[in-house]
Amino acid sequence: MKVLMLGWEYPPQIAGGLGMACEGLTRALAGKDLDITFVVPQLYGQEQATHMNLVDSYTLPASQERIVGQKLERVYVPANLKPYWSNHDYLTSLSAFDSIQEYNLSIPVAPAALNRPPGKVHYGWNLMEEVRFYADRVIHAFAEKEFDIIHAHDWMTFPAAVALAKLTGRPLIVHVHSLESDRSGFGSNQEIEAVERLGFNWASKIIAVSHYTKNKIKKFFGIQDDKIGVVHNGIYGRRTKEHYISQKTNDQKIVLFLGRVTYQKGPEYFVRAAQKVITEYHNVRFVLAGSGDQLDSVKQLANDLGVKDYFNFPGFIRGEQIEANYNNADLYVMPSVSEPFGLTALEAANFSTPILISKQSGVSEVINNSLKFDYWDIDRLADLIVNALKHDELRQELVTMAGQELKSVRWDVAAKKTREIYQELGK
Amino acid sequence: MSSVCFYFQVHQPFRLKKFSVFNQQNDLDYFSPENEVILKKVAEKCYLPTNQVLYDLIQKYPDKFRVSFSLSGVALEQFEKYSPQTLDSFKRLVATGNVEILGETYYHSLAAVYDKDEFYAQVKKHSDCVKKHFGVTPQVFRNTELIYQDYIGQMVSDLGFKAIVAEGADDILDWRSPNFIYQVPGRDCSLMLKNYRLSDDIAFRFSNQGWKEFPLTAEKFASWVHQISGGGDVLNLFMDYETFGEHQWSNTGIFDFLWHLPEFVLRHPDWEFATLSEAIAKYPRVSEMHFNRLTSWADLERDLTAWNGNQIQQKSIRQIYEIKDLVLKSESNSLIDTWRKIQTSDHYYYMCTKWFADGDVHAYFSPYESPYDAFINFQNVLANFSQVLAKQLKEEYRI
Repeated sequence: MKVLMLGWEYPPQIAGGLGMACEGLTRALAGKDLDITFVVPQLYGQEQATHMNLVDSYTLPASQERIVGQKLERVYVPANLKPYWSNHDYLTSLSAFDSIQEYNLSIPVAPAALNRPPGKVHYGWNLMEEVRFYADRVIHAFAEKEFDIIHAHDWMTFPAAVALAKLTGRPLIVHVHSLESDRSGFGSNQEIEAVERLGFNWASKIIAVSHYTKNKIKKFFGIQDDKIGVVHNGIYGRRTKEHYISQKTNDQKIVLFLGRVTYQKGPEYFVRAAQKVITEYHNVRFVLAGSGDQLDSVKQLANDLGVKDYFNFPGFIRGEQIEANYNNADLYVMPSVSEPFGLTALEAANFSTPILISKQSGVSEVINNSLKFDYWDIDRLADLIVNALKHDELRQELVTMAGQELKSVRWDVAAKKTREIYQELGK
Repeated sequence: MSSVCFYFQVHQPFRLKKFSVFNQQNDLDYFSPENEVILKKVAEKCYLPTNQVLYDLIQKYPDKFRVSFSLSGVALEQFEKYSPQTLDSFKRLVATGNVEILGETYYHSLAAVYDKDEFYAQVKKHSDCVKKHFGVTPQVFRNTELIYQDYIGQMVSDLGFKAIVAEGADDILDWRSPNFIYQVPGRDCSLMLKNYRLSDDIAFRFSNQGWKEFPLTAEKFASWVHQISGGGDVLNLFMDYETFGEHQWSNTGIFDFLWHLPEFVLRHPDWEFATLSEAIAKYPRVSEMHFNRLTSWADLERDLTAWNGNQIQQKSIRQIYEIKDLVLKSESNSLIDTWRKIQTSDHYYYMCTKWFADGDVHAYFSPYESPYDAFINFQNVLANFSQVLAKQLKEEYRI
């Protein structure tokens, strides 16, 4: 079976859990009778993916304004196509997908002259431009290639995926690692949500990374229950605590936050809880690792609340630095407002660090042996942190029991479920 | 002749209220307002209707129907507070003369395992309480959750009890049958063992539609009882009283089952019902029985790990008994009583982590979302209690 996977990032150049999840899933999936071609917007040279054909969309030939190929002749190219669309124009066009009849499909076509947009990571002010660019290259490169299933990860790849599915008649799986409403809360970008809706409506099957996310898709998009499967993310046994010599020289406790410093991840709750924690437990250091649009305001908040001296802000960290931080932490805290899965919590648990996670997360479905709270309940968060720091026995029990659960949270389990969905669609 | 010996355990803990680590209160108000709600609900679904069925059965078979109860002190205290009607209905049952009340620790605690003097004090308090309410003094002992080992039988014998009940655990019984009366080694004290298969057929499997014996009728169960004829003196059916109407809901037919059971059991002329005291007076002790490990009626393991199997439970238990001398030194009835209510075994049971991820029976009976929440709430209460205690002791010394 040949699977065309459309993704947005691949390790080590990643902005979050999406790339990690794609690596984990494809590594476990590939092999036997399964060939995977995985297309990302751009590669950076350090990727290691011998298990599949990893493709950089920039190496794909850009389309010409005139579309070739028999199948593609049926494609309708809007007359108002302009060489340089604004994001708004592009999204208007995307929204139009909804009402487009079969074979009367609008595909955005980028001019051959369009060069790579600036910026290394494909998120930011020009994200829409990237989405358009990616869709264009992918559609024209793969419309006539042989594959059995299209498997698309998150909304950025949905325009390309939906167009290919329509053109080729191949079944489409859209895989939801996060929703726009998770990332932005009430300030959701409605245009992005329109793209998500497009993907959900046109997909043969939706894979959600948690029941939490499945329920959101059902609730907000009105998708029927049996169209959505749940495949929890997994984890590979990597280096463990024994690999690292503890860098701790005193009995000061370390509480770790690691993730994008954005609304979704709840960094503000972490800082506000810290202020309460230190009234009951003094010998503690809070590490808030990551970067994001709230980093400055969070630092300012720590300053305003008078807890700055209890904090470290190492910024964006990767690789060994991440592992060292998991290893040194006495407690990992994930106060996410809305977390479809929460792979970092799983990684922390894999380093034998007890985890404290919001109930609004997918990972809380797979690691029951964790401390859980509602993300808005700062008093409760502080209460749990104090108790976790005070009682060695509590941390040890959490780690021991979570370790048993981790044994069944594996990528090969996720791969098995995904293969079942492939087979179901292949019939 | 042979006898069916029913013993029903009636217990409700004083559950703790949600207590934050930042709570700095100075009173001893640690208990949940939910306790009243739960007690009234269980009284309505179980205690009152089941007591009525038993009362009617006694009226129907005044010479042949008997049952025994163990009522924990903390349950009696809550009846008195929240449902005097329930207490009255138990009094009415005891007044028939066909119902025996067993002895136990007032606080349904683990004191037998951790502190002998504390155990004695709580047993005495319970006996006094039973005497006050029912006018009788318990003669047969039932330890918390049937926790038992030889030395517990010996302690109970020292306190003057004539018999004690325990779990008929397979590894202890070996080839022997639970359907005879045994003896605590070296003591003039009888040992009555639970027949867990037949007990659990009622308590756990009654409404299980996947069970091959479903549906369980009184007639069918009575035929199993009769099969014991000639091969045993007693059939000890020990179970939570909440089996009737609470664990097995009324619509499962459990009350009809109970109502009709004596009729079918008594159709065989060799069978009758007996209280535990009657049974030990009537039948011989066949031999001594050694319990060389701590047993209980919980889980497949029939051990204590549901209460003390993990380190958060062990820490909490250690802490509660560590402060005993200070608490007693305060000579404050309210401090001592509160401390003992926090000894109730349920608080430690809620912290059980084995099988937690599977969402099993432990989770069903817990007011907490997780064993870790249970531990943290307990620790927050205990820390506050210790502060209040320290303050009180300090003030006394100043005087």
